Amino acid sequence: MTPAGFTVAFAALFWGLGGAIWLLMRRRYTLRQIPQFFMDLLGFPVELAQSLFGRAGVPYALLLPNMLIFGFFTFLPMILNFYVSFTGGASISLFDRPWVGLEKYADIFTCENYLSPKSCSNPGYNFWTGMFNTLWFVLIQVPILCVAALVTALVVNQNIRGRGFWRAMFFYPVMLSPVVIANIWNWVLHRKGALNASVGEARDAMTGLAGLSGFDMVATVIFAVILLVVSERSLRSNDGPSGSWTAVFGVLIAMLVYWSQPLSLIGLPGSGWLGLALAGGLYWSVSTGQSFARMAIIGAGILAVIMLLMIQFDAVFSFGRYRPINWLVTPNTGWPFFWLVFVFCWSHMGFYMLILLAGLQAIPSDLYEAAKMDATKPFRAFYRITLPLIMPTLTVVLVLSLIRSFQIFDEVYLLTGGGPGRETFMVVQNIYEVAFANDHPDYGQAAAGSILMAIVIAVFTFFQLWLTRRQSDL
Amino acid sequence: MSRLTTFLSRTAGNGPDRAERIGITDVLAYSYLFFGVLIILVPVLWTFFSSIKSDTAVESFDTRLAPMDQISEMIEDVGEKDVWIYTAEDGSTQLVYKAGPTRKVTDVAPVDDPGAVFKVPRTSLAPHEEMRVAVENYLDPILKRNGQDNFHFFTYLYNSVFVTVIATMVTLLINAMAAFALSKYRFRGRLTFTILIVATLLIPSSIILVSLFFVVWSFGLFGSLWGVIIPAAATPTGVFLLRQYMLTIPDELLEAARMDAASEWRIFWRIIIPLSLPALSVLAILSVIWRWNDFLWPLIVLISDPASHTLQLGLTQFAGEFDTNFHYILAMTVVTLIPITLVFVWLQRFITTGIATTGLK
Amino acid sequence: MNDTSHAAKAPALQLSDIRKSFGTVDVIHGIDLEIQEGEFIVFVGPSGCGKSTLLRLIAGLDDPTSGDINLNGKRVNTVPASERGLSMVFQSYALYPHMTVGQNLSFGLENLRMERAEIERRINDAATLLQIDHLLGRRPGQLSGGQRQRVAIGRAIVREPVIFLFDEPLSNLDAELRLQMRVEISDLHSKLKNTMIYVTHDQIEAMTMADRIVVLRGGNIEQIGRPLDLYNHPKNKFVAGFLGAPQMNFLEGTLEGNVISLNCGMVRDVPVAQPGTGKVTLGIRPENIHVNLDGHGDETVTVQNYEQLGAVTYIYATFPNGDTLTVQHAHQIPLQRGQELGVSFPSEAFHLFGEDDASMELTR
Repeated sequence: MTPAGFTVAFAALFWGLGGAIWLLMRRRYTLRQIPQFFMDLLGFPVELAQSLFGRAGVPYALLLPNMLIFGFFTFLPMILNFYVSFTGGASISLFDRPWVGLEKYADIFTCENYLSPKSCSNPGYNFWTGMFNTLWFVLIQVPILCVAALVTALVVNQNIRGRGFWRAMFFYPVMLSPVVIANIWNWVLHRKGALNASVGEARDAMTGLAGLSGFDMVATVIFAVILLVVSERSLRSNDGPSGSWTAVFGVLIAMLVYWSQPLSLIGLPGSGWLGLALAGGLYWSVSTGQSFARMAIIGAGILAVIMLLMIQFDAVFSFGRYRPINWLVTPNTGWPFFWLVFVFCWSHMGFYMLILLAGLQAIPSDLYEAAKMDATKPFRAFYRITLPLIMPTLTVVLVLSLIRSFQIFDEVYLLTGGGPGRETFMVVQNIYEVAFANDHPDYGQAAAGSILMAIVIAVFTFFQLWLTRRQSDL
Repeated sequence: MSRLTTFLSRTAGNGPDRAERIGITDVLAYSYLFFGVLIILVPVLWTFFSSIKSDTAVESFDTRLAPMDQISEMIEDVGEKDVWIYTAEDGSTQLVYKAGPTRKVTDVAPVDDPGAVFKVPRTSLAPHEEMRVAVENYLDPILKRNGQDNFHFFTYLYNSVFVTVIATMVTLLINAMAAFALSKYRFRGRLTFTILIVATLLIPSSIILVSLFFVVWSFGLFGSLWGVIIPAAATPTGVFLLRQYMLTIPDELLEAARMDAASEWRIFWRIIIPLSLPALSVLAILSVIWRWNDFLWPLIVLISDPASHTLQLGLTQFAGEFDTNFHYILAMTVVTLIPITLVFVWLQRFITTGIATTGLK
Repeated sequence: MNDTSHAAKAPALQLSDIRKSFGTVDVIHGIDLEIQEGEFIVFVGPSGCGKSTLLRLIAGLDDPTSGDINLNGKRVNTVPASERGLSMVFQSYALYPHMTVGQNLSFGLENLRMERAEIERRINDAATLLQIDHLLGRRPGQLSGGQRQRVAIGRAIVREPVIFLFDEPLSNLDAELRLQMRVEISDLHSKLKNTMIYVTHDQIEAMTMADRIVVLRGGNIEQIGRPLDLYNHPKNKFVAGFLGAPQMNFLEGTLEGNVISLNCGMVRDVPVAQPGTGKVTLGIRPENIHVNLDGHGDETVTVQNYEQLGAVTYIYATFPNGDTLTVQHAHQIPLQRGQELGVSFPSEAFHLFGEDDASMELTR
């Protein structure tokens, strides 16, 4: 019998038998009070504490189980981490591990050039690759996730039909396990999977359509009509152009600029960005109520007509044959990383959306009514009322999602396994592989990595809290 | 007025005037929601529809929604053969099977006259299909038929249910006890305990993996389901969620119960627990999600012993071993997501409002 | 009631030198009190006077910092609340919201592991007494304020306690219901004949219900006595002012021998038992001042405001020097603001308070 087993057996005996005797000696139970007896038995330590130390002893007895578990399985490992990181070897007996001092840290920091993981020693290479990938992932992931969650929360918070349904739908992926999520997306993103099939079919159909004679003319006319309607709608209202219609108009402009590539006339790339900048500027001028907004829309409309005449639609929509992409496997395309960000957003966005939604609903609606009475533009109301008041919640969401993103493992491990090559190799996977998926487990190395990772997370969290310190109520 | 921005700043139920006519704002809002839900639902539904297709349809990546399966028939003296529809040049059709290898011009014979082999161009053959739900995708691994004896479904299910149920019960009990102590008693060290619990909230679980493994090993819990259940049973989130809720229970109730000769434990059990049910059920749901979906820690603790794999681990191993048996993997994926989906459909309103109002992760 | 039998028995409750402090704040500064069996005692005082704390000390919900609590001659300082044989009605009623009325009543009895039949009997008796039999299956949330109040009292009754403790039980009710429940609690006391201790900040409740009133201020007992004794012979200015509505008039002045000259100009002989010299305050209740509409009287005051309630009339007036005076007149009289009014002060209604606010003895 192991000491642990002995302790457990003793505790069980003390609790079960001792408790039963103790209770039966003090209280009478009728037959129908048997459930009651078992409840009292469950709380026997608390009852004992009360009878021994009075009411003052009770809170300690109540806290005991929770604190024991925190102590042994959170605080103790936290401290042990340092010890383990200073020891070497593959032994899992704590007393059997040779002290190596800072060697494990030195391994990680053995680099010729600190900006290039390739110049490091083997453990250093793995760790820094994982760390850089993770940092990169966090920097891309967190803003996207938060913006998506905020926008969704704002939309769901509208006076829309079936709000409960939409809210539930966006939350649903949070309930799914990483394994299920990975299997689903592996299936969809397979080289012959549904995504490639639908993209392929859509492109083939479009190419076929563009090949028909007269397509260019028809497309030009259709776009001209759409442009006419949208620009008229944007300018219709007397008290300044409509923001929503301008947004639609902006999207159209951006598309037209992208297709007509005006910058290519002077031999420059980047027309896509130019279009986005144009659309953004347009929307900004309208939403902030600039005096030249109306003129800007008219000007953009004229520009759009010129571009429309420049575009050869049959060339734009002729994509040629589609080659299915192996989304999760093809190296040097950025696709595996993209899909990782996408799937992570897909599966976690709903949770943060719910938190933000709760924050939005806590904003009293009379603030908006007051703003309305003051003739505040809705856009201004968003910046001056919604955003400041949602800031504490947004800070919580930022910190939570940051800590969460840093620890990403399940999705990567199951979707890409860190590949292709080491493109999506994250730092937790490094820890896991060094310690547990290795023929020669190097626990010291893994512990050292954990501590470095903890430091990075702490620095990031505090930096973030410092940035948002005024709004934070954490 | 700019209506897109109206929706940016709008609160719940703001403005009855909106119902009158559908503006561009509504169109944009609804299209956003519609596409969002499409992105969320389509992959899940596609997985489900794929999982009820026959193995040949899955392996050939049939992108039709309906589970079409090529019919095969027992041909006398020949054996089991796939049936094809042969369309002759005059438009007449005939059910045939391939009597030889598939070439540009293939040997076929009518199903009802197996001996009469004739040659037809390959392009004039189409598979003879029927709509059929491939139940065997589900039943084979579960019942260990057709050589699918590596997926111990019932063992995994039992382990998953065991871990989820026991861990949730333990979590609820001890977290409620701690929350009760922190919310309803004044005692020396209360602040210290509160700070300690906040501290655990800030320690990410993945940075203590290695040492936690040492601790669990020393306790002799490695490889056992208890090694998964116990370390995460005390959750700071749970304690705080319950504490916040219990603070709203008036102290006079406790005093009334004390006057009513209830011991502190009975007060906890008869007064505090029933009155905290809303918060407890939110924590219960969170705990069920956490435990049912837990992956990394079970992977470390349980991976060496297939008999103690949870459903998630079993599914991972299964997917790893049979890289080509997509139809089984998909079916088992669906089986794994069904319980949580049912819970969700059943309790969705409660879950979403409950988590939004009472809890942070 | 028989006084000799009481003398032989130990008092139902005896507090000796009870002190209580929360941290560094002293809330109760040494209280001595004896309560006889069957008495209806009201603790009254402004908020923060320690009356609720004292009740909780008696109940056993808090432990005194020092001093002894004796129930029927036995020291119960260390006896937990549930074993003192007391029951308490809380300000918020503290009904268990998740239990039915019946379960609320039986919870405490079950904890005492009483026989089921006995529990049933007690619940039925209490329910009949309080007319809540038809509510036994409902939950507190489905009851009106008055019904909840009754259930809370019922929960106290079924315990058949030695002493009932009431902690401002009527403060959550509206005025009409409060009046009704006041009468009911008094009736209950005459039916059950238990000792009852009742805490309130409302002097009307104290006056109407109590056998004896304990007036508390700042953690000290100011005076103990029968309601009318307190009303007629307050020991000090605080008690005099606290009991009675509208409040007693206080007029500042100086005493020389047995002549008092008030700041408002009035000079009167008062029958002081021990003549002396010094600053004094003259107290006179509003209902003891006589109004003369024709302007004659001891003094003339100017009407600033008045309230015609039908049965009585309240007049708020000022002396020429600005001192205010409240007069209660038992009839309807025609009044105008700014009107001059003659008032007379019968000296048999005088209360005199010395510089230390203590009452000075008068010979009548």
